[in-house]
Amino acid sequence: MFTPNKTYYPYISPFDPCKPIKVKTYSTPPNLYMGFQPPNLPQFSPMEALRAGTLWKPFYDPYFSPYEKVKGGQS
Amino acid sequence: MKQLPAEYYQLLEQLQAVDFVLVELNLYLDTHNGDEEAIKQFNYYVSERKKLRKAYESQFGPLMHFGHSYSGTPWDWDDAPWPWQV
Repeated sequence: MFTPNKTYYPYISPFDPCKPIKVKTYSTPPNLYMGFQPPNLPQFSPMEALRAGTLWKPFYDPYFSPYEKVKGGQS
Repeated sequence: MKQLPAEYYQLLEQLQAVDFVLVELNLYLDTHNGDEEAIKQFNYYVSERKKLRKAYESQFGPLMHFGHSYSGTPWDWDDAPWPWQV
């Protein structure tokens, strides 16, 4: 299933002083997957667009760290 | 010190929102010259901004100087509040 969150596995040295973090995740913006912007995408109202940071809904990309379980929704 | 009415902030916020939409549409139209729908929307928001500016300036004085806004009397473009004081 498609998800903007990707993962990578850092190298863990035997001499690491702290507990190793085996998997690290990062989120990728939606415009990577869209290429040339198609016309007539659904839009926010001006007030919402001002807060969302973009005029078009598909580009809305609020960042939530893995520790913040809240995902999506109008922040 | 004089307190500003709530309408001052509403007008400013609407102006800010319309400005943001205009910036977005402008950048979009730079790469999509033929998109009439977006051009129509852009022109709609240009006229919208003109109305908002007129409404704001008739009540609260000029937004900009050097000929971009009418001045009240006495000369008032440099009156408080400045943008960072609002």
